[in-house]
Amino acid sequence: MATFLNTLLQNIISGPATDPFPFGETFSPKRVRGLIRIDRDLCLGCGMCRHVCAAGAINIQRNSLGWTITIWQDSCCLCRSCVTYCPMHAMSIDPNWHSAHVEEDKYKRIEQHTISYQPCARCGTPMRVMSLERAKELYAADPDIDPEEIRHLCRSCRQIRDAEQSTVCMLRSDISTAPAAEKS
Amino acid sequence: MSLDTLLKKASVRSPWLFRINAGSCNGCDVELATTALIPRYDVERLGCHYTGSPRQADIVLVTGPVTVHMRDYVLRVWNEIPEPKVTVAVGICPISGGVFRDSYSIAGPLSRLVPVDVNVPGCPPRPQAIMEAVVLARSIWLKKLGLEG
Amino acid sequence: MSDILWALFHVCVFPGGLFALGFALFLKGLDRRIVARFQRRVGPPLIQPLLDIAKLLTKETLIPRTACKSMFMMAPVIGMTGMAACAAFIPVPGVFDGMYMMGDLLVLFYLLPVPAIAIMLGGSASSSPFGAIGFSREMLIMLSYELPLLMILLTVAMITGKATGIGTADFSLLNIVQYQIHHGQFGLNPLMIPAFIAYLMFLPGTMGVPPFDIAEAETEILEGPMLEYGGPLLALFQIGTAFKTFVVLSLGVIMFFPGCLGDFWLVNLFWFMAKCLILMFFSISLLRAVTGRLRIDQAMMFYFKIPAVLAFISLVLVMIV
Repeated sequence: MATFLNTLLQNIISGPATDPFPFGETFSPKRVRGLIRIDRDLCLGCGMCRHVCAAGAINIQRNSLGWTITIWQDSCCLCRSCVTYCPMHAMSIDPNWHSAHVEEDKYKRIEQHTISYQPCARCGTPMRVMSLERAKELYAADPDIDPEEIRHLCRSCRQIRDAEQSTVCMLRSDISTAPAAEKS
Repeated sequence: MSLDTLLKKASVRSPWLFRINAGSCNGCDVELATTALIPRYDVERLGCHYTGSPRQADIVLVTGPVTVHMRDYVLRVWNEIPEPKVTVAVGICPISGGVFRDSYSIAGPLSRLVPVDVNVPGCPPRPQAIMEAVVLARSIWLKKLGLEG
Repeated sequence: MSDILWALFHVCVFPGGLFALGFALFLKGLDRRIVARFQRRVGPPLIQPLLDIAKLLTKETLIPRTACKSMFMMAPVIGMTGMAACAAFIPVPGVFDGMYMMGDLLVLFYLLPVPAIAIMLGGSASSSPFGAIGFSREMLIMLSYELPLLMILLTVAMITGKATGIGTADFSLLNIVQYQIHHGQFGLNPLMIPAFIAYLMFLPGTMGVPPFDIAEAETEILEGPMLEYGGPLLALFQIGTAFKTFVVLSLGVIMFFPGCLGDFWLVNLFWFMAKCLILMFFSISLLRAVTGRLRIDQAMMFYFKIPAVLAFISLVLVMIV
């Protein structure tokens, strides 16, 4: 009997523990899951996110000019699978949880990016431009190669460019291909 | 201000909530219970009160993707709520079908069956987001009464 | 002619009607606020019960197809008018002597079960199975708290009757109040303390608050008899409940602590309201904040074992001494 009276008294003394939220500020944890965002510079359109999406919220439409990636936030179950599996780390989570909206906005709550191919700087084939960060990361050990230049090259032109510039690469290809050539 | 307007303005400050579980996994229901039971959120501050009866409800909160089995019951209970009512879809399941979309046992999404007014996506949404939805539903209710909120 | 006008005034404005309704709604808002504070919440605004009633009046009325329509519509009206009539008989010590020519403690005893009967009528007329369950539960709980209530009222009447020399029992509310003002309050009389405790236990039962909200258990039978009610009819039920709150709380005050502070009527009025509030705090708010719900058989056994025995002890003591 004394225990619960004591609890009540303490509750009265310490005052309400209520957040003033709809009328005031509230806290939001740093890692709260609100919205999925795509970094349009990193996305390669590989379709891994669409493949792993449990709720079928991601769609990728391709044509000869590029592709359109769409996330419908009203279908996203915030499982974070796309963030985990994206090979380019292009997906991220925005902690904005203010998700209540009226029915008219239901189909407007989408994250959509249309990414188009650009011609390769050397051969002119339509290709996806690599992001600068990725190029710097890949060629960090190779000071001879200019990342800004190499990111505008298509895959085969990049190999050729690598071969022209990088002596390390050339030596290695000599060693590995020479015996094979002899055998054949 | 006439008495009628005064009554209408007073009425939106007492939204009684009613929950329909249309085949939900209970995650959203737990968050709904959280808004009422946990002192940090305290939805009673807004004058809300979870009723046990659809006949006393003003704002109906639907959770779950509306399974084929639940469809008739959802429609029946929804029709028992007196006008003016505001329908809130809580969680991604009633809004779009969510992870259950295109399943053979799903009759939803909810907007295919009844007119929905407010959506709160999330799996489940935060209690704060649900309270935001209740506040939004209040202003929509005021519009339905013919007054601009 | 002026007698009739005064009677109308007492029924419609003070102490019944507007005053009782306003005060009871204020008490209910305060009760919700106090319980919220006990649970570390902020709670609804004080005028929330009034807003609820305003809201319910603007909603549409739905009547189930299978319900008995006339009885369904009449039940809340019966409950409300019964209690509104009851509120007019309540004397406010030092302010108003009560309509003692028209009613006394016995009339109150007859009118007090009216809201419970209205709930039973509404529940059974609604044709809902939950209403039927609520009906039987409401009847059982009513039967169990009526016995201690009768003995408490009898005890108060006996002690007044013995002292004023009218006879064995004096049921006049005016005499009960006057006797206590001049000869000490019953709540401080050792013979009457068991009866007062029994009355405190009677209050939550009649108001349907935990642990005795068995008839309207929201989580169990979905508000039972109230399940099919909504809109203006439910508002009438709520107004009836508000009148009932006023009647049972002020009955407790005038039977056990009707003392006055001086002669000025406004001070006495506020003193009376403060005593109602304290009574409500201990018998309704505190209990509501800390208890769960009993089963119907447990509640029945509780009322037959403890309040009935306490009231009986007081009755025997008063008859002997």
